[in-house]
Amino acid sequence: MTSKSTIIEPWLEEELENEDCALDGNYIYFLNADTIASSSSYGSVNVFKICYNENGEIGMKKGTVWKNIHSFENGESNLCTSITSYDQDIVSVGEDGRINLLTLSSESIVRTYDNADSCSIKCALFLKHNEILTSNLRGQLKIWDLQSRCEEPSSTFMLSGDIVAPTCLTSHPTHRHLVVAGDEEGSITIWDLRQNTYPVNMLRAHEESVMEIQFHPDYPDHLFSSSSSGEIWHWSVKPKLSADYVFDNLAGKDKNMVWFASDAFKNKLEVFTLMDKLHKPINTFDVNQARVLCGCDNEAIYLISGINLDKY
Amino acid sequence: METDINTILIPSKLCNRAGVSLAWKPCNDLGIFAYERKHSGAQDKPSQYYPTSEASVFHVRQDVILFRPILRKLINESNGTFLNLQELLARKSTNTQEEMLNFSRQYRSIIRACLESLQEDIARSKSEADKDELQNYITIFYSIECIWHLCEILFIDSTPGNVVLPHLLEWVRFHFPKYERNAAEMLCENQEELEMKPEYWPTIIGLMMQGRVRIARGLLKQHSAADTRAFLLVDQCLKAMPQFDVYSGLSASEFHLQWQHWVMDIQSKIDAKSFASHKNLELLMKIVVKDELAWSEIKKHFETWYELLPAWLFYAEPSVKSYELGTFAKYCIRQMGLENKLKHLDTVLLAAMEYDLLEVIKEIQKMSENGWFATHLANLLYHSGQLTVLEKDVDNFSAKALQEFLIVDYGTMLMGHKSLWQVGLSYLDHCSESGIHIIELLLPRVPVDNEYKAQKIIREAVKRELHHIAQFVCKVQGMKCVKRGRLGSALTWALKSQDSTLVSLLANRFLKDYAANGKLRNTDLLFNLGPTMLSSDRLIFLGKYYEFHKLYQDRQFQEAGKLLIKLLESKIIPKYFWYILLLETIPLLESEDIIFSSNDTYMIINFMEENQFDERIKDKLDVLRLATARNLSRAVLYESELN
Amino acid sequence: MFEAQEINAEHKDLIHDVAYDFYGQRMATCSSDQYVKVWDQNAEGKWILTSSWKAHSGSVWKVTWAHPEFGQVLATCSFDRTAAVWEEVVGETPGPSERGIRHWVRKTNLVDSRTSVTDVKFGPKSQGLQLATCSAEGIVRIYEAPDVMNLTQWTLQHEVPCKLPCSCISWNPSLSKNHPQMLAVGSDDANPINGGKVFIYEYSENSRRWIKLETLNSVLDPVHDIAFAPNLGRSFHILAVATKDVRIFNITPDNSDPSGVTKLDVQTVAQFDDHGCTVWRVCWNVIGTVLASSGDDGTVRMFKMNYVNSWKSVAIMKGDGSLAPNDGSKNLSNALTSISQTARYIKLGSIITPKEREASWH
Repeated sequence: MTSKSTIIEPWLEEELENEDCALDGNYIYFLNADTIASSSSYGSVNVFKICYNENGEIGMKKGTVWKNIHSFENGESNLCTSITSYDQDIVSVGEDGRINLLTLSSESIVRTYDNADSCSIKCALFLKHNEILTSNLRGQLKIWDLQSRCEEPSSTFMLSGDIVAPTCLTSHPTHRHLVVAGDEEGSITIWDLRQNTYPVNMLRAHEESVMEIQFHPDYPDHLFSSSSSGEIWHWSVKPKLSADYVFDNLAGKDKNMVWFASDAFKNKLEVFTLMDKLHKPINTFDVNQARVLCGCDNEAIYLISGINLDKY
Repeated sequence: METDINTILIPSKLCNRAGVSLAWKPCNDLGIFAYERKHSGAQDKPSQYYPTSEASVFHVRQDVILFRPILRKLINESNGTFLNLQELLARKSTNTQEEMLNFSRQYRSIIRACLESLQEDIARSKSEADKDELQNYITIFYSIECIWHLCEILFIDSTPGNVVLPHLLEWVRFHFPKYERNAAEMLCENQEELEMKPEYWPTIIGLMMQGRVRIARGLLKQHSAADTRAFLLVDQCLKAMPQFDVYSGLSASEFHLQWQHWVMDIQSKIDAKSFASHKNLELLMKIVVKDELAWSEIKKHFETWYELLPAWLFYAEPSVKSYELGTFAKYCIRQMGLENKLKHLDTVLLAAMEYDLLEVIKEIQKMSENGWFATHLANLLYHSGQLTVLEKDVDNFSAKALQEFLIVDYGTMLMGHKSLWQVGLSYLDHCSESGIHIIELLLPRVPVDNEYKAQKIIREAVKRELHHIAQFVCKVQGMKCVKRGRLGSALTWALKSQDSTLVSLLANRFLKDYAANGKLRNTDLLFNLGPTMLSSDRLIFLGKYYEFHKLYQDRQFQEAGKLLIKLLESKIIPKYFWYILLLETIPLLESEDIIFSSNDTYMIINFMEENQFDERIKDKLDVLRLATARNLSRAVLYESELN
Repeated sequence: MFEAQEINAEHKDLIHDVAYDFYGQRMATCSSDQYVKVWDQNAEGKWILTSSWKAHSGSVWKVTWAHPEFGQVLATCSFDRTAAVWEEVVGETPGPSERGIRHWVRKTNLVDSRTSVTDVKFGPKSQGLQLATCSAEGIVRIYEAPDVMNLTQWTLQHEVPCKLPCSCISWNPSLSKNHPQMLAVGSDDANPINGGKVFIYEYSENSRRWIKLETLNSVLDPVHDIAFAPNLGRSFHILAVATKDVRIFNITPDNSDPSGVTKLDVQTVAQFDDHGCTVWRVCWNVIGTVLASSGDDGTVRMFKMNYVNSWKSVAIMKGDGSLAPNDGSKNLSNALTSISQTARYIKLGSIITPKEREASWH
């Protein structure tokens, strides 16, 4: 039953390095099909446009640069740890505990929360056009209303009782209030932000830190996760259940959706390994149609195709 | 002994004149500087070079070719294979020859892929210098591929009965592929008069040398004179060539007899001048019957002695045993007149054919690929049991120690690279004796550029149960955050490091900051401190004090009052903070509802009187006295009513 | 191939010591010109001078970094009879893009010695913040900072008389809790009649004193440097000594004596007179697999233990005036490097380069 995977030619992340980005901890984010935003080690955010020259070779053109928008009091520049976007709006967060609201059309910063967090902010995620969710080193999650004048978060909650930092955040493609976080200890936690700020579900998933989590953009019954031990997993709702839930979803009874189900939640899911365990962290991946592209600390990018997304 | 050692020259006049000293620069580099030793009792006066503008430090490092992006794929992929191999070995005690062969082939395919990408790059590169550099890598990795393949044949893929020739022919075909390639091209073209091509006859001879008799016959049939008697006769002879096959059931002596007959038959035909009409055909047949003149004539076809060796064996000693290879190898070297002209690759191949594994490993350590080859080959050979058998022959030799010695060097080198340190770690994991101690020294030295990297290092430390290193990294992060003015992050790291001194120091900073500015900062962090609070008294105090603030803000005055009394009674109030607690009682004493009992109030009064001469409460003393007196009277009245 | 990067240290006289921090990203230099300088490596690998100050009123012999756990801390010792502890302070008023102004503050001045202080070394971090100094008058002093957050307070814990003028000192870096603290001290006294020139001391928890366990009587010539190798979990310690030659000793402690006194079994495992003259410096790489030495002959030599546990010479480095760029081109290259921020490495020549062969010191 495991989905058949084909590994196509891993290659070095050479081209990105040429763009003067050290790989460790730098963040690259697709704003739309041909625009990417990247963070550099000097606390800057750069926008690049992907373009093709007459020979069909892919090139990158530098776009807007926001220089030094993350830095420490003593002047040391620091890393922008995460970027998230909604249409033209971009939010960057950093180890300096700052949130910057940017817009593609302007080189100036729209809004800065200077001391948004007394801890380093690790992840950021747009929930709505005016709302973002951030998480910090301490394991606190905060929701910010970007339209409010208040410099304080509209709500704060914890990932767990201990100091466990979330390593990645994502939300359900159609139900944005469904938020999933992966953490340092390999767990996956699910919230329904409409209800309250206590998690609906928590899975002990990977053995080591979760590096990235994503729903399939078109088939949200499928979730993908990668770990620092080099695993990449495909979670899917068991076929029998899937039919019911899909039907329920269409009928608008999304509260029955499997991700919210609290009882025997784990039994409703199947987990597949997409690739033999690599021996280094899989830092990031992206899902599109039946393909997964992932980048690993062994300096290679893998393309896995033929992901089984059968609907029943 | 010194003749074998490199002397590296430091371009400095002062170093030359004065002398040098040095310091190691973590992890693998050296700092060298001009220096002159002074006796501890000597006078302090400027040196004869004073004043100088030449006081330089030279950072010397090895130029590691493996760190070039084009070769990093080799590092990473072979690391995967290496780890899979070690995992397999950990799972089961015995390992089959087949599995080992499989791993050996995986390594070889990685080398092949590397060579191919080097070749693509050389085609793309524009400058001569780049081309030279890439060509140099190709030479290195070509040699590695060639040696590895031979070692695989001799040490890993040993066939029953020590039959080695078929493998050797395969080896030589793989590394000298031009004859098969030419033949394929010619046969595909399907042209008339193939013999007009200059490479026609060399190709046929080459194919015969590599044991590709059928293809040679195929080419001969394309000759325009293929239907003549001489050609037909040659084809007939070649078709009848006996093949030695260990699985055919034919014993070596039976085969030998057959072979002798076949050779005699051809010799008689040569003597009868059956091929005399055609010079090339006659040469071909003379080669087959080991005619010395013919062999010396075709020597020019061979690039090296090890190309000659399988060819010679094919016709002279088709049933050669693997342990006889060394003798024949030396014979071929003599034939080619190379006795004193052996290059490094030749030495290694000869050592392998003589089954001198230690010499092979010693020699391949001298190749310029920074130990990649020796490390992986020795590891594979060790696990195939090939190194262990040497222990009884060589004094003081431990196979395990040898392969771990190589792994230590290779792993340590990788640990020094900014993105390969995790690869390095995974090698050091496989050195039973010293590996973990080396990791203990090197892992904390991996530069921490940002928190993301810090978390990776911590993870690697925890995975290996090196908790003190994880704590150390957390602590250094904490100290860094203090310098950056990020007290919140600093406290989080301090808590992770479980260093109560640092936690207390930071909690102190928060409290002092409040004492000075009247505003409690970083309250988001104090929210939900949980059990981590217990790591330091000062933090408990800070946490509780923050709780009091929150209760007060939420207008839960009763609870706030109770907490405040608890704090006043506790023994953990910092010296600089008690007066603030005392002042906090005033609004609660004055509130409409009675919050403090008479006992509580006595406690506050005692506390106040003990400290009445303190400067910091001097001007508030009257207010406090009044407030406590008023609250005391209210409380006593109320309590008596209750009774 | 080897390559080198030249950093002109801008000292007016010979450099006496170079010390790298724990990560190899910072470098401290000291010189007869009485100055100490600190250099930081930027992201592109280029070394930038970030601080330079007159630290003493005599030649500065040695400079050494404390473990980074204690912050950015240096210790120096000098002919002026003092040793000093320095801490880096980052200024409060940073510019938006520049690093804050850094400077080094003298936290303490240790003035107990009546003669030149010849060596200074921080103790292993497991024991807190300890500092050992030795002096020409022949006294080893152990200082301690009881509060690691306050480096202005150092107490002189022990004074250990050695009778002979001391030139160098080395802590045993063993991480094992089974090993009591150990120190080796070398003397550059020239008179063979005065006996062995290397002394080994151990701290006794019972008597709270440093006890001399051993004098290496085989070393009668002046000793200029001494260095323990990282232990790597071995049952014995490895000590390198720079005297008229390079010596390597294996030192095995034996705690079986009922009196609680440790006995040492000392074996000379290697003796190299490759320098052919006095050896000045011995120095181990981070993991203790390679020993580098320098001597009167102006060369650096490297020794490595092979897999049958015997020490072998593996590489030589030598200053060469003929290869140094002449002054004109040197100025040019300086000008170039000051424009580009990236580190410039030059390929180093070598005398014997058999094809495909190369020494490796890792």
